[in-house]
Amino acid sequence: MAPQIDPQPVQKILVVGGGTAGWITAGVLASRYPRRGEDGISVTLIESRLQPPIGVGEGTWPTIRATLKQLGVTETDFLRECDASFKQGSQFVKWMDGSDADAYYHPFTLPVGYEERNLAPYWLEDPRGQSFAASMCFQTDVCSRALAPKQITTPEFTGLANYAYHLDAGKFAPFLQKHCVDKLGVRHVIDEIVRIESQDTGDISHLVTKSGETLTADLYIDCSGFSSLLIGKHLGVPFLSKKDVLFIDKAWAVQIPYPTDDAAITSVTVATAQSSGWVWDIGLTTRRGVGYVFSSAYMSDEGALEELKNYLSARGDLSRDLSFRKIDINSGYRQEFWTRNCVAVGLSAGFLEPLEASAIVMIELSAKSIANLLPSCRGGMQQAARLFNDTFRYRWERIVDFLKLHYVLSRRTDSRFWIDNRARESIPDSLRDGLEYWRDHCPWHEDFSHREEVFSAASYQYILYGMGFQTYPAPWLLNDRERNLAREKMSEVAQYGKALAASLPGNRDLLSKVRRYGLQKI
Amino acid sequence: MVNLVVLSSQTHRNVRIATTRSSSGDAAVNAVSVIPREFPRLLAHYPIFFTKSTDTGQFEPAALLGFEPHENLFLLDGRWDAAYVPLQIQRQPFSLIPRRGDGAEGKPAALDVALDLSSPHIQTQEGERLFLADGQPSKFLQNVTSMLSALVSGSTEAYAFTGRLAELGLIEPVQIDIEFVDGSEAKMQGLYWIAAAALKALPAAQLAELRDREFLEWTYFQMASIAHLSALVARKNRLLSGVTAARP
Repeated sequence: MAPQIDPQPVQKILVVGGGTAGWITAGVLASRYPRRGEDGISVTLIESRLQPPIGVGEGTWPTIRATLKQLGVTETDFLRECDASFKQGSQFVKWMDGSDADAYYHPFTLPVGYEERNLAPYWLEDPRGQSFAASMCFQTDVCSRALAPKQITTPEFTGLANYAYHLDAGKFAPFLQKHCVDKLGVRHVIDEIVRIESQDTGDISHLVTKSGETLTADLYIDCSGFSSLLIGKHLGVPFLSKKDVLFIDKAWAVQIPYPTDDAAITSVTVATAQSSGWVWDIGLTTRRGVGYVFSSAYMSDEGALEELKNYLSARGDLSRDLSFRKIDINSGYRQEFWTRNCVAVGLSAGFLEPLEASAIVMIELSAKSIANLLPSCRGGMQQAARLFNDTFRYRWERIVDFLKLHYVLSRRTDSRFWIDNRARESIPDSLRDGLEYWRDHCPWHEDFSHREEVFSAASYQYILYGMGFQTYPAPWLLNDRERNLAREKMSEVAQYGKALAASLPGNRDLLSKVRRYGLQKI
Repeated sequence: MVNLVVLSSQTHRNVRIATTRSSSGDAAVNAVSVIPREFPRLLAHYPIFFTKSTDTGQFEPAALLGFEPHENLFLLDGRWDAAYVPLQIQRQPFSLIPRRGDGAEGKPAALDVALDLSSPHIQTQEGERLFLADGQPSKFLQNVTSMLSALVSGSTEAYAFTGRLAELGLIEPVQIDIEFVDGSEAKMQGLYWIAAAALKALPAAQLAELRDREFLEWTYFQMASIAHLSALVARKNRLLSGVTAARP
């Protein structure tokens, strides 16, 4: 007899945890599948309020615009209520050799001509004294002048240059909560989970709360943060540490006020390399968020704090009343993310150092995948879980590779931290193979196997050539037609960049105007 | 360069204002922002769209005057070829500016009449006098002052109007592609108009609210005014085919 498919419909979804991961996931599911009486999807979110949110991940990716739009919030409300600012990429300072001139951009806008042709070989052939990013992307100019990616007349969620946001995670979750509850019909329970019960099959059957309520669901989404209540503690899915590849395991974080109300707001995340890690510097509308992520194997807590204070004092930002907060980082991810009727999203699924702001984008991608894969009945869940796990294992691995790339390409020799980071045994095979291949071939779409790569060939180009990596393509693979096209495109970039920079307001100016007048939807 | 100074009966006693308008002066614009109180008179001549203020991004009603950046098809031989001239044009070269040092503690600043010294309207021999021999404002200046204050209150009304329409989804972008008699083309961007379908589908309660605030009639004035777009195209075609001679 053929095995029976379990016909139990998947309709009730319970999200455990009310941080960024919980509310994004609840919001994506509730907006994708609006309530339709008794037989639709219902989303409930339970949070304990005992654990304060971690508040990591103040940087996002351009994908966040589509996510916010999907949830149905307005960009004006979001910018105002989350103290958010426009982020147009990252700037990496002192990553190559630590000298004063050592800095490069990874902008969000793709290299010129990227939709049609791989023009990187022609920049390599003749860079004409310009960096890769400046030659291939008009946004570099916009970033270096702290300009906004749009004008006050540009409609919500669209830009003249590609952009994401820096946001105050402590305000983002309550902002999403209000929208999810008021507009999307998500049921919000504030209670503590005291017991998790399983069925004989191993599926979670229900949760019992402190106030005595029993919460039953067809699918449980674990957004409980580092505590990993369901996927880790209850279901015992092992955690795979990546500490042998990514050495960062601690951070000092601090909030820096602006010296004046009209101080410029940088429109990129600035990541400045230090002796045993790097310092992030993120400008919100109300303050800057600064922190030093470092490796405890190479640096003591006190030593790291000293280095962070040096970073601040060199910029005139050190004052007595700053309060420094210590955070532990455990780099790695779960062996499986979706098991039985439970899927983990956010920190419960994994965390990697914030160098490329991958935390929130992984939440968005997970929520989207769950919405897409959501089976109609329990019988379909095993296949959904298998597909989800394959995709996300691949994604976490690619993020590890891409983060490690920044360290492998460094030529810094000022500490063991940097030297050991280039040790062969610490580099994943997939990254080693890639680097070998890119010796004579510029990164391109086919080098990566998935339809939706977290880091595309464009990102690899920006980092590789930003850090002085050399590719030597065979001359017979290049031709004059593409060479001329490349030259044409690069001069367009220079002209367009200049014209655009002249028409864009400062990042601060535009954000103040949005506060006052708002942006139009159309 | 605009050079604004506060008007004074001492300093500007002998200033005269030429009321002719040249196509190289401040009237050389292809759109001018207008206020709802003008709609009944504008309706006789101009297509009224919405544009976004480059300063605030808010929608404002604007009369379309031409198809190229500085093309004003209503300027012919130094005169305005329509019975009604929008207030925003008429008021040139005067404006209201906040009094210096005023407006602290959140209170709005008092406004002073200012004169743009760089304007070609400013003369000493010909034109309208600003002040009488005894230093009292002339009829002309009194008229200017009342126009300026109408523009201030009118712009508050205009933003309340467009803000509400935008909230209700009653404004939509419109792309206008025109081919002229000589084969040249104009693609107008950044223009918006009333979303007619959305207006038709508006729930009764909101429709009543628009009516009570006079917004509904302004909405219909704007929709009706679009008929003048073809007249504007005809103006340009006459110019291109040499039927009308344009001399600055």
